[in-house]
Amino acid sequence: MTTYTSVPPTAEINATLATHKLNRRGFLKFSANGLALAFALPLIGRTDEANAALSSQDLANSYIHVSPNGTITLAFGGAEMGQGSMSGLAQIMAEELMVDWTQISVMQALANTVVSYTTGGSSAVSRRYTTLRTAGAAARELLVAAAMQETGDSNRDNFKADNAKIIYLPDTQIWWEYGELASAAAGMTLPNDLRLTNPANFRLIGKPLPRVDIPAKVDGSAKFGIDIFLPGMVFAAIKHCPTIGGTLTSTPVKPAGALAVVACTASNTRGNVIAGSKNAVAVVASNSWLAFKLAKRLSVNWTLPATTADVDSTQLLAYAQAKLVSSAALVAEPLPPTTFTPQSFAPVLEADVANTMGVPTIDATYTAPYLAHATMEVLNCTVNIMYAGDTPVSCEIWAPTQSATTVATNAALLTLLPATAITVHTTFLGGGLGRKIEQDYIWQAIQVAMAVRKPVKLTWMREEDFSHDQYRPMALTRVRAKLAGGKIQAWSYRTLSQSITAQRGRLTAGSVDSQAVEGAVHLPYTLGKYLVEWVPLDAGIPVGYWRSVGASINSFAVESMMDELATAAGIDPFTFRYNHLGNGDPRAMAVLQAADLLSSSWRKQLPAGHAWGVAIAQAFGTWVCEVVEISQPSASSLRVHRVDCVVDCGTVINPGSVEAQMQGGILHALNATLWGEATFKAGVATKLNFNNSRVMRLGEMPAVRVQIMPSTNAPSGIGEPGVPPLAPALANAYARLGGIRIRKLPFFPNATMGGL
Amino acid sequence: MISLNVNGNNYNVDVDPATPLLWVLRDVLGLTGTKYGCGIEVCGACTVMIDGQREPSCVFDVSSAIGKKVVTIEGLSADRSHPVQKAWIKHQVPQCGYCQSGMIMACAAAMKAGHFGNEILSEMNHICICGTYSRIKDAVGEL
Repeated sequence: MTTYTSVPPTAEINATLATHKLNRRGFLKFSANGLALAFALPLIGRTDEANAALSSQDLANSYIHVSPNGTITLAFGGAEMGQGSMSGLAQIMAEELMVDWTQISVMQALANTVVSYTTGGSSAVSRRYTTLRTAGAAARELLVAAAMQETGDSNRDNFKADNAKIIYLPDTQIWWEYGELASAAAGMTLPNDLRLTNPANFRLIGKPLPRVDIPAKVDGSAKFGIDIFLPGMVFAAIKHCPTIGGTLTSTPVKPAGALAVVACTASNTRGNVIAGSKNAVAVVASNSWLAFKLAKRLSVNWTLPATTADVDSTQLLAYAQAKLVSSAALVAEPLPPTTFTPQSFAPVLEADVANTMGVPTIDATYTAPYLAHATMEVLNCTVNIMYAGDTPVSCEIWAPTQSATTVATNAALLTLLPATAITVHTTFLGGGLGRKIEQDYIWQAIQVAMAVRKPVKLTWMREEDFSHDQYRPMALTRVRAKLAGGKIQAWSYRTLSQSITAQRGRLTAGSVDSQAVEGAVHLPYTLGKYLVEWVPLDAGIPVGYWRSVGASINSFAVESMMDELATAAGIDPFTFRYNHLGNGDPRAMAVLQAADLLSSSWRKQLPAGHAWGVAIAQAFGTWVCEVVEISQPSASSLRVHRVDCVVDCGTVINPGSVEAQMQGGILHALNATLWGEATFKAGVATKLNFNNSRVMRLGEMPAVRVQIMPSTNAPSGIGEPGVPPLAPALANAYARLGGIRIRKLPFFPNATMGGL
Repeated sequence: MISLNVNGNNYNVDVDPATPLLWVLRDVLGLTGTKYGCGIEVCGACTVMIDGQREPSCVFDVSSAIGKKVVTIEGLSADRSHPVQKAWIKHQVPQCGYCQSGMIMACAAAMKAGHFGNEILSEMNHICICGTYSRIKDAVGEL
């Protein structure tokens, strides 16, 4: 069995990684009780996130270690939040290193500011495929070089790596275990030809191998952030100002039973102090429950913002609706020809599209609400700062984080310690969903540890988690389209939303936030004269990355509109899409056809009162088509009977993980589509726990079938792309069921759920 | 002092009798396999067995556990050999894994009560955000 370990093979490796740069070929090879081969897995998954990557690409963030006793370890700095990244990466390395799945162990590397990267953008495995293959092959070739030296035979073709052995082919009685060659291999020169395996001969990539992390997750031994305990530890609970934008008037008096009360300064998500903003109080006690109880009861004087109109659902929706029609928009697509500036191009393009459009066949506005993440493991962080007198000398952090690098950088900012004195342990994440890329909870825990000078674990109560999220932005999208002869002649698409990037101070004024239009641009359809625009919404609600980001919002509008147009044209939804795919994207066409075929038999014999709907979307390079079957037992409910899902994610590393991520994306989207919405009244979040934020329970889960398209293309993301097609597929099915078109999500606002 | 029997071991704990059992298990006894999810007995992540019955420990006063036998995920088996654990590994059920202790304990309690198939599923109507429901159904189907 492949194992998960938290114990590094040698203590000196991290020190070497922090101070030595990679060579020109991207490797750092050294001797550390055997062979250590370090390399840099790409730091981030999407270019817009460049500022999240605070470390240098010329330092390593991952390594392969082969010890003299034959232990083979892959250490990487990313996050395992359920998506199977740990296993996927190990599978790729084991393939090229020519070892069996049972011969390796995997660890999340201890992170200082250099030994980590951010996990987001569905990139954890797919965007690191080539680097990891190359590294696995390089380690193997160093071991081969050591065998060549032992034999004095420099003909590479006389050596074969197999099953963690190097075999000498002229005399197969001569062979070495990798461990026997490990120390010598560290002194070898890396050959130019790394002999990457022909994908046709893959032994492990593409196989549904058992995941490394699963055994520890069935016996309670898997350590999530919330499970970290240190000797002498104290426990903190956070209480934010309930009103978004409110600040602490004065630090409250420590209540009886508490060990301390600590005012916490807010940070923006990348660690910069928001000037003067103390927006929370931490209550420190001898156990978590006592800290929770005291925090709930704590009387605090808050200074409220002058206006809360921009953080009130009703007022904000009305404002956004007006702004969608009246505000100037920025053109996202098509890009202006060189003869135009973006500003001069917009009116010309708009006039051109309007000329063809005339009176639109359909003019519809689709609304998606703010959404909370609600990861099953609430936000938490454990910090231990050692002091010499009043001076901090080291800082150690354990956190369920998608960005250990940023955690380390923030720790350096707050403690003023050098990077070498800071260590970050990425624990298992009880769900990430984009929320645990943020730094608010980390920032608070470090401040508490500095105030109490004891090891401290800070935990957010579920109510704080729901009420102080960084929500998926609300979006209003107006789509106008003209049909003639069953074909779209003109398409005008205008979406309005808060920019996540702008809220982090990283959007150039006057430019389009690419994440706000994900799923609306680069469409595979032939749309005639078309225009895609974005209107930024200025509002005070904190927004963040929610699984699939812009794609879940825009795919709802695009694929709902495609269905509305199909209905208006009197053409079957599959056929209507085929007619508009043309030769544009063969992958989209193949996925759609496969979903058509997969679902055709049950769609032809639907029981009375049942209906089906389809939608297709691309996110993070992966195409997914979903076909749903529904019925409606009562006005306030919907039964989702089945979801057929076809996915093309390029080369598949682990089909079991792909299937699980599609099942997961579908459930996450079902929750959001049917019931999900974060609402605010006068600046205060009104949904504080699962009892008024209904999610699907086990018994309601539809039957999900996942079909994976065979492919030799480069791997693309799987963590997020299962989400976007579900909402439009469901709305399309609902329209076929009873003729009612749902254009505003969720289907059932204000849904509640009872106890177990 | 409150006397508890957890996973066959006797403990004396010095806590407020109103402390929920969940936090005594986690913060006092160090049995962190049982998870905090919602604190209002809606999600099921904190489920343990008390005298063989599934019970959300987040709202169960520790004083009510006196004289009863508490079993947590750590006490289900010494070596992942309980049939539920074996089925969970075979079907590769967990994703993030956070809700799984509660799912497994509810499943084990239902089996202990002699239930099968859909009866078991109806007694483990917990919340999972990752979407492991599909594989849980597969795993329970063969128990």
